[in-house]
Amino acid sequence: MTSPSDPGAFFRDMLGQWEKMANSFGNDAMKREEFARGMQGATAASLQMQAAFKDTMEKALAAANLPTRSDVEALAARVDAMEATLARIEAALGAQAPAKKDKPTRGRKSPAG
Amino acid sequence: MTDTLTSPFAAAQAEFERMLARQVKGFDYFTSPAPAVGCTPKDVLVERGTMRLNHYRPLVDDVYRVPVLLVMATTNRGFIFDMVPGQSLVEYLLRAGFDVFMLEWAPPRPHERALTLESYVLDFLPAAVERIAEETGEPDVSVIGYCFGGVLSLLWAALEGDGVLANLATFTTPVDFHAMDLFQAWSDRRFFDVDRLVDTLGNVPGEMLYSAFYMLRPAAQTAQNIRLYDNLWNDEFVKSVRMFERWNNDTLPLAGEYFRQTTKALMWDNRLAAGTLDVGGRRVDLSRIAAPFLHLAAEHDHIVPRAASAPLIDMVGSQDKREIVLKGGHVSLVAGPNAVKRMWPALARWLAERSQ
Repeated sequence: MTSPSDPGAFFRDMLGQWEKMANSFGNDAMKREEFARGMQGATAASLQMQAAFKDTMEKALAAANLPTRSDVEALAARVDAMEATLARIEAALGAQAPAKKDKPTRGRKSPAG
Repeated sequence: MTDTLTSPFAAAQAEFERMLARQVKGFDYFTSPAPAVGCTPKDVLVERGTMRLNHYRPLVDDVYRVPVLLVMATTNRGFIFDMVPGQSLVEYLLRAGFDVFMLEWAPPRPHERALTLESYVLDFLPAAVERIAEETGEPDVSVIGYCFGGVLSLLWAALEGDGVLANLATFTTPVDFHAMDLFQAWSDRRFFDVDRLVDTLGNVPGEMLYSAFYMLRPAAQTAQNIRLYDNLWNDEFVKSVRMFERWNNDTLPLAGEYFRQTTKALMWDNRLAAGTLDVGGRRVDLSRIAAPFLHLAAEHDHIVPRAASAPLIDMVGSQDKREIVLKGGHVSLVAGPNAVKRMWPALARWLAERSQ
């Protein structure tokens, strides 16, 4: 809380009011149909460009006999599957090992009774 | 009593000292790393693709019988529940005597673009619950979901919760997606081609989601920067800003198919509110949830407005159910100073009475 003679108090109050007004004004503007149309139009154009670029790059990489992003993703998926298999084996081995730590008892009562 | 700030001379002197401190600490701000977060000791029980299940090491010798599972939203990191000692819901629950687990998410890898709502509700959540039962030897669990983590928890509870769900708590969880005005306007199906977006990008980039969250309060960042400069002399303020900034900036990408499915079923068709949502070919009926239920909502939530979460309490079938609306926003509800004072104690009391 600020005291009446705090030199920054007026400025801080103004900042709070400006923030509220600017957010409210911005939200009203962004709720308008024109805003959504413009924003999504720009997104669609950017996606179209990315798709065209990706297609060209894949063709170029294939011509150079180099793996594409999709090839690397397929490899990553296989590594992931192997990791999952290892995790299952590890869990099965862990289940056979003796408990490694003292576990707490589970008899706690609520203070409310 | 003499209030130093009531004397103009003392006030000017205090302001001058703050100005000096701002210069010195401003340099520290740009040269020091952000505070370490998420440091409560834990064991990672499951690490499978995007899924992470953590078990936090108990801090007391005798815990409540029923373990607690925190389910994080798919858009953000779980350390919002475990910022730093003294500002950690996880630590608070551990000290209150709970055995705490957290289901959180790593950024989905490119080949995980095919993950769907079914993957989260019928695979990841049941796998976590099963692993917790294995670890604790207890047949049931209390589930606490935050934001969309709350939606996932609700869907799981309605479809798979019988016999294993002891208690369910959700924080700021939307059910009426048509009441989320701005997200509705931006995802208007006449202009938003979600198919093209997912088909082109695979997973939806975190930066795109961050921009959407940022645009909900377009002046907030500028005002925050000015407040930060004004309070550079105040170490606690700066530390808090840096922690929340780090969390905000670390928005996760979303799996493509999951994004497509939630956009169409929830944002466009509002199927959860209409009672027409199917997951894995099964109809979701929230009135089937019978376990004790608590919903915590924030009065000034700019992401999930009150109108979007208000119908939830009536939709859930539990006899023992309660909703608490607290002052604060979407994030401060779970991790701000008010959370430490109000929300955490209320949650711990509610759980303790139902966890034996």
